[in-house]
Amino acid sequence: MGADTITRTNRVTALAPWLLVLPATMAVFALLAVPVGSTLAESFSNPLGVFENYRRFFASDYNRMVVLRSFWIAFATTAIALAAGFFAAYLIAGSGPRTKRILILLSVFPLLTGVVVRSFGWMVILGRNGILNNALIELGLINAPLSLLFNQGAVLVGMVYLFLPLMILSLVGVLETIDQDLYSAAESLGSSPFGVFRQVTFPLALPGMVVGSILVFTGSLATFVTPRLLGGERQMTLATLLHEKAIISFDWEAANTIATIMIVLTALSLVALGMLAKRLSPKGRA
Amino acid sequence: MQSNAVSLNDIVAHYGNSQVLHGLNMSVADGELVSLLGSSGCGKTTTLRLLAGFIRPSSGSIALSGRDVTGLPPYRRGIGIVFQNYALFPHLTVAQNVGFGLKQRQVAEPERGKRVAAMLERVGLSSFADRYPSALSGGQRQRVALARALVIDPPLLMLDEPLSNLDAKLRVDMRSEIRELQRANKRTAIYVTHDQEEAFSISDRVAIMDAGRIVQLDAPETLFTRPVNAFVARFVGFENLVPMIVVERDGDRVICEAAGGVRTTLSLAATGPVGDRFVIGARPEGLAIGAPSNSTIPGTIGVRTYLGRTYQYRIDTPAGPLVANGPFSQPLQQGEAVGIGFLADQCCILPMENN
Repeated sequence: MGADTITRTNRVTALAPWLLVLPATMAVFALLAVPVGSTLAESFSNPLGVFENYRRFFASDYNRMVVLRSFWIAFATTAIALAAGFFAAYLIAGSGPRTKRILILLSVFPLLTGVVVRSFGWMVILGRNGILNNALIELGLINAPLSLLFNQGAVLVGMVYLFLPLMILSLVGVLETIDQDLYSAAESLGSSPFGVFRQVTFPLALPGMVVGSILVFTGSLATFVTPRLLGGERQMTLATLLHEKAIISFDWEAANTIATIMIVLTALSLVALGMLAKRLSPKGRA
Repeated sequence: MQSNAVSLNDIVAHYGNSQVLHGLNMSVADGELVSLLGSSGCGKTTTLRLLAGFIRPSSGSIALSGRDVTGLPPYRRGIGIVFQNYALFPHLTVAQNVGFGLKQRQVAEPERGKRVAAMLERVGLSSFADRYPSALSGGQRQRVALARALVIDPPLLMLDEPLSNLDAKLRVDMRSEIRELQRANKRTAIYVTHDQEEAFSISDRVAIMDAGRIVQLDAPETLFTRPVNAFVARFVGFENLVPMIVVERDGDRVICEAAGGVRTTLSLAATGPVGDRFVIGARPEGLAIGAPSNSTIPGTIGVRTYLGRTYQYRIDTPAGPLVANGPFSQPLQQGEAVGIGFLADQCCILPMENN
């Protein structure tokens, strides 16, 4: 009887981990794998041919422009966030523990509010009767309000604002791990502060730059609210086009196709960035 | 006037509000190896960072080979530094690490490659030129760090606890290797360590530091036999410091009295001249344990510790507790009455300090 109890206990113990992950696995399967799978399947199920939906999509000049624009916006957002984020992160990583905490808190503060709220915030600032236009008119710098919204500039401003915290956090993470003595060593060997930055800080920060870029690039390729609110009809991206096809024109075939294209593009970008990272990243790191 | 390779004049330094160096003076002659020795927080690393230019003194001046460098940034001083954790660039190969300083000095290929190869040859790492630091052992990293600092032909080489991350055996080997490299190149060097044996074995002179000051800067032999005060004396192992007052001088012999009214006789031929009040310092092996007599300090054997070839005893005397070694062949028992004499030629005489 005693042996039997032990065996049963063992069996339950062995099964326990599987039982514990089951609910989450089922949820992921039901809520993610099934819908994504059916989206992929639908996009290839045009009776006129497997790739008919794609042929049709890419036949349109407008659609091709949207793809390029989405790519360009994601690329520009990443580049700007990288440049701006690097210096912020460098400053944060180099400051004392107390200042560091405060600065990190400040840089992630925007993440505490929703995307919609943050994009609306920019509408309030950039609108025809927005804060910026009013201020410029009050100062007498302009006579009539500028149209600052619904152009690519507005989208980029909103996107960079949206994703900068992610970039900063990725970079702080890697900059913090760089041994301060490496800077001292480089300086003692005759390297000017700029030389130290170029020859030590930059190459050692590359892994963080790649991680941050992947987060920002894929994020801005997929984001919908910001281009919708700040770009409007004239700055259609893949995400907003998908929304329009699905919700406004009920063209689910096109929506599925766009969704698949976005998934593929994101995956390809990930692979490309990964390869770039491998080529650029310092070898021999433990 | 011969200019010193290094001179520090009245250096005062602060970290935030706390003063860490209090008017430090030091000069190092050309080709000399001087160690800064002291416990952590004594200011030795601060001194090194000041010399390197990573921090600026609040007052005072620093000169290298007679040239004032107080206001120069680190990259204009040309000092070679070996860091405690080596600080090798993880993204560069061994050869690139060693060539880093030459590259900053615009030494072009193939000259740079030649000098790097020669340096790697000298530290025995030629076959590791294309490895990354992560693929090296501690001792090899140490050599790369040394090669990187030496290849730029620095007027001054500074080593910050360079051996503290190595195991005991390797430490001794590297120590002599460093010393040989330094001598062969007639390199002026400053060596920071908290390890007394290391400092004494490698240095021409040792600066013993305490609380932001250099207490004594002398050759190891001098420090070991003639410390200038109680701090240095304790540091180099004079565990027994007994204040004495001379009560009678009789030619070569003085009779002096310690606390508790106990008297002992010393021979001036061995101790050198003494003032009327002084402190005598003795290592445990500098005390002789014998039978009680009227020229020795009476005591009672306390705790006994086995040290291998000798026993060490804690002995209670009217002048305070003393620590003395006795032969292994004749162990003494706790509570035994003994007489303690000073082996004067092994003792040191210190001025009485007011405290």
